[in-house]
Amino acid sequence: MNLPQGRLLRQRVLSSPETVLTGALDRRLTGYARLEPQETLLLSADRVGVVTFVDGVPVAAYHTAPDASGTDALTEIASSGPYRLGLYELEESALDRIHESESARVPPEMPARVLGGDQQLIERTRQRAPNDRLESESNGRDSLAAVEAFLENEQQIEAIRDRAQSEAESRADEWNLPVE
Amino acid sequence: MVEVFAVASGKGGTGKTTSTLALGMALADDYDVTVIDADTGMANLLFHTGLSDRETTLHEVLGGDEPVEAAIYERFGMDVIPCGTSLSGFREADPARLREVVATVAEQTDVILLDSAATLGSRSAVLPIVLADRVVIVVQPTIPAISDGLKVQEYATTYGTGIAGVLFNRVTQDEGIDRVSDKAQQYFEGEILASIPESEEVREARRASQPLLAYAPESEAARSYRNATDSLTVRDGEEGTVADRFRNAVIPEL
Ligand SMILES: Nc1ncnc2c1ncn2[C@@H]1O[C@H](COP(=O)(O)OP(=O)(O)OP(=O)(O)O)[C@@H](O)[C@H]1O
Ligand SMILES: [Mg+2]
Repeated sequence: MNLPQGRLLRQRVLSSPETVLTGALDRRLTGYARLEPQETLLLSADRVGVVTFVDGVPVAAYHTAPDASGTDALTEIASSGPYRLGLYELEESALDRIHESESARVPPEMPARVLGGDQQLIERTRQRAPNDRLESESNGRDSLAAVEAFLENEQQIEAIRDRAQSEAESRADEWNLPVE
Repeated sequence: MVEVFAVASGKGGTGKTTSTLALGMALADDYDVTVIDADTGMANLLFHTGLSDRETTLHEVLGGDEPVEAAIYERFGMDVIPCGTSLSGFREADPARLREVVATVAEQTDVILLDSAATLGSRSAVLPIVLADRVVIVVQPTIPAISDGLKVQEYATTYGTGIAGVLFNRVTQDEGIDRVSDKAQQYFEGEILASIPESEEVREARRASQPLLAYAPESEAARSYRNATDSLTVRDGEEGTVADRFRNAVIPEL
């Protein structure tokens, strides 16, 4: 999936992914957030997550390496911090293609649930979301159910642990720390 | 005997400092406990213990200006070594001296708790995990926090540090947390020690600059922490050998 390059509003390193959602909501962003795990720099893989927004409300998500879209992409993003974040503004029409992809679309409050946002963020997102999206797309799955689904995916968790282990080893080397 | 625990999460605001002091106070019923604010870049243990006006802190010790003894304060039945918050204090602190501090304290206490940084992104941030015998991992029941908790576990294992257990903190939904906790158990090497509810008492205790177990000892959160220490068996280590171990730990100077 490819998006045209948007206008960069903000770039920073962050460790809590849900702050992206607050930022987008506060500025009523139409565009997208691009999140790249910092560890990518170490392990030189091309892992990027993207969440799109209209008027501050999340609409779709995808992830590269591993390829994932929708809620799976969000889970992939949720488990790979800290990140380098870029927030980009883009015309809504430029987002049409991805927004037409059923597999990439997510219920408005799903990113908040998966990325660890609190109840207040979930409520604020729902309030801003257009009614038709709340009715047709919200599936009522709560935040702990999202965590449970995550914990059921053994493969994904193994991947997180493997990455963390190689990161820890290469860091130990870099920092001259003793390894068992 | 002495056992050194790092209280870590790899993520900010999960409740490491709150938990360090709560576990410390609960363990202080049976052991001599020393808590050290090893989060030397973003210290906040001093604000939880009413020690924010002290001039001598871990910074001065790590800066080589003061002996450890000068930074130990008796509070709430524990020995507390707070850390300062000034940038200059941080700049002059040599993180590698933490090993020497732990070695010295190990000669005079049963349990050392190291309140750790909210990141794994620097050598000084992971040092408490390297120095500890075991880690208590504090997570919130969210995907990012659990992922970061798993990262802490992999870092610890890489450095030969064990996992004492996992605390779920800031739990808002009663139903569901047991299932999450059961499922999480299979991936963590230590036991899930407790689920601590998100509660007003914890926030009030922080505002009153007191540890939770001093401010609201009968609260549900305080009870959960005490239950957590019931499942946490402190292991015996010979004082002398432990102190030596820290002195001689093969942590090369920077
Ligand atoms: N169970 C809880 N219920 C309500 N508030 C809590 C709970 N646990 C922690 N908090 C609050 O969350 C904030 C962060 O807690 P704490 O300072 O213990 O976390 P930390 O992990 O040490 O943070 P940091 O990463 O900044 O060092 C504090 O204001 C604290 O009062
Ligand atoms: Mg803290």
